[in-house]
Amino acid sequence: MPGQRAEINREELVMTAVTGEITSPAMDGNPYEVSANGEPIVPVGVGGIRYNVRVGMPAFGWVGDQVEPGVSIAHPLEEANDALNIFACVGNRVQVRGGDAAGAWGTVTGKHEEFRAYKHVLVHLDSETLERLLPGDTLLVRAHGCGLRLPALPGITCHSLGPELWDAWDPQLRDGRLVVRVAAIVPPELMGSGSGRLSAAACIDLQTADEEMLQRHGLSALRLGDLVAVRDWDAAYFTGYREGALTVGVIAHGDSRLAGHGPGITILLSCSDGSIEPAMDAAANIALLLGLA
Amino acid sequence: MCAETATRLATNEDRLVTLGIEATISHPTQSPSYAVDADGRPMIRPGMAGVCYNTRVGDRVFGWAADHLEPGVSAGHPQPRRYQALQFLACVGNRVRVTSGPAKGAEGVVTGKHAYVLIDFPQAVLDQLAPGDRLLVRAHGQGLRVLDFPSIVTRSCSPALLHAMPLRRTPAGALAVPVVAELPAYVMGAGIGMSSEWANCDVMLTHPDTIWRLGLGNLRMGDVVAMRDQDHRFGRGYRGGMCAIGIVAHGIGVIPGHGTGVITIMSGPAESFAPEPVAAANIRDYLALPA
Repeated sequence: MPGQRAEINREELVMTAVTGEITSPAMDGNPYEVSANGEPIVPVGVGGIRYNVRVGMPAFGWVGDQVEPGVSIAHPLEEANDALNIFACVGNRVQVRGGDAAGAWGTVTGKHEEFRAYKHVLVHLDSETLERLLPGDTLLVRAHGCGLRLPALPGITCHSLGPELWDAWDPQLRDGRLVVRVAAIVPPELMGSGSGRLSAAACIDLQTADEEMLQRHGLSALRLGDLVAVRDWDAAYFTGYREGALTVGVIAHGDSRLAGHGPGITILLSCSDGSIEPAMDAAANIALLLGLA
Repeated sequence: MCAETATRLATNEDRLVTLGIEATISHPTQSPSYAVDADGRPMIRPGMAGVCYNTRVGDRVFGWAADHLEPGVSAGHPQPRRYQALQFLACVGNRVRVTSGPAKGAEGVVTGKHAYVLIDFPQAVLDQLAPGDRLLVRAHGQGLRVLDFPSIVTRSCSPALLHAMPLRRTPAGALAVPVVAELPAYVMGAGIGMSSEWANCDVMLTHPDTIWRLGLGNLRMGDVVAMRDQDHRFGRGYRGGMCAIGIVAHGIGVIPGHGTGVITIMSGPAESFAPEPVAAANIRDYLALPA
């Protein structure tokens, strides 16, 4: 049953420039992390450019750890990087400003924050452009969406949600609630690393050490870019458990074997008053919605 | 009494090294902005770092105008790598000596970890301590194994604490642990995904509804608790059928996703533990911490 188009405060939203440089992978002298099962692993997949991993592909099954699809960018100054990581919104357009790919356009697909380690904005660019990029190249994000809200549903908080994604996702108003398409619904006990962080920049990992739980909740086949809901989870300001709340986000990076980690969810919407109704749709993925290939 | 054995648990403690590790009493820091509580109210609250003169292990968790309330003394080290050694190697129950300032020579006990190592001193000593005072922690306990329970690992648990707790073996071969609460996995917040030995894991008791429904309003700092479906052997995370035992290291936390910190002392398969609900199970009593 179709609903009514939900209106956002589009005319109020400022579009601002934030920049980041393509990062490079970094490691300590000892390459080993220890998995939840007590096995040493060498994590690969965070920082820099992934030539063969992009949104729309599986979130599981990579020989890597928290693999970031496409390109990861950060600003070398901490304060400017905080602004990049708060203002950039999923769906925003990104232009390459330096290097051999100058002038090419891409799209923000998520954010990946690791406590006391790094804060990355993740960008999709087409394969031909990826071949011409280098760590250090500057990317300009036309940040648009900070402050986005729904005048008809003031109980809903939006974060990192670009109008570009909003329009493609096209959530509907039905019986006074916002119906949003999601590929899965996650129970709160699986929410892991990222709890307690600032909702506008956080990436909360879905814990995957318990395979039976993943099967039971239909989470084993999640893809990068899938839109997912989290039950009893609040993300109005800082993100954490709250009975009756609901949070919706996008799978930003891939799985992990580390305890308490797994595919990361960049937050898009949250409410504590029942204003959001998740509607299951296996095709609820930003690569499909935004035509990213 | 049934045939359950209350004999001293056999361990490898005679193989553990005791290390002297320097620490310095920390100083609070403050972001020039507001945090936001679970009801969306901006707030600035003390509680982390330095010396807290009027809260001790054994005091109530809730009912303070504070955030991440650390009882007693909070000590770190200004040099990052030495700080990590202190953070990873200090264990609950370790002895601490003051090595500078007016309280030089006085003794305290490690009671928990957060961003810093948390130490209880007698009130008369606490009143003399200040940020910058130097301490020596006698670190002893990482690597401890309980020989009759090979599936259980210990983390940040000193032999002194292990033997002070009224632990015993049930006829079924499980380790009986008196606990004041068993926590469901969905309240485990910030600290999930970190190393088992590092700091603690916040229990998301930020919303009054949650505290009330779980019946945890009388929780005290120093209480022993069980955490269901938690695997804290190699980092902290969710796994059905596993269990972790911890101690309430710090009090009230009001930022969503944070809460009341619980330091891991043991973890293993759920069937290897027999948590026994009791009204009082607190390390202030177990370790006979002086008033």
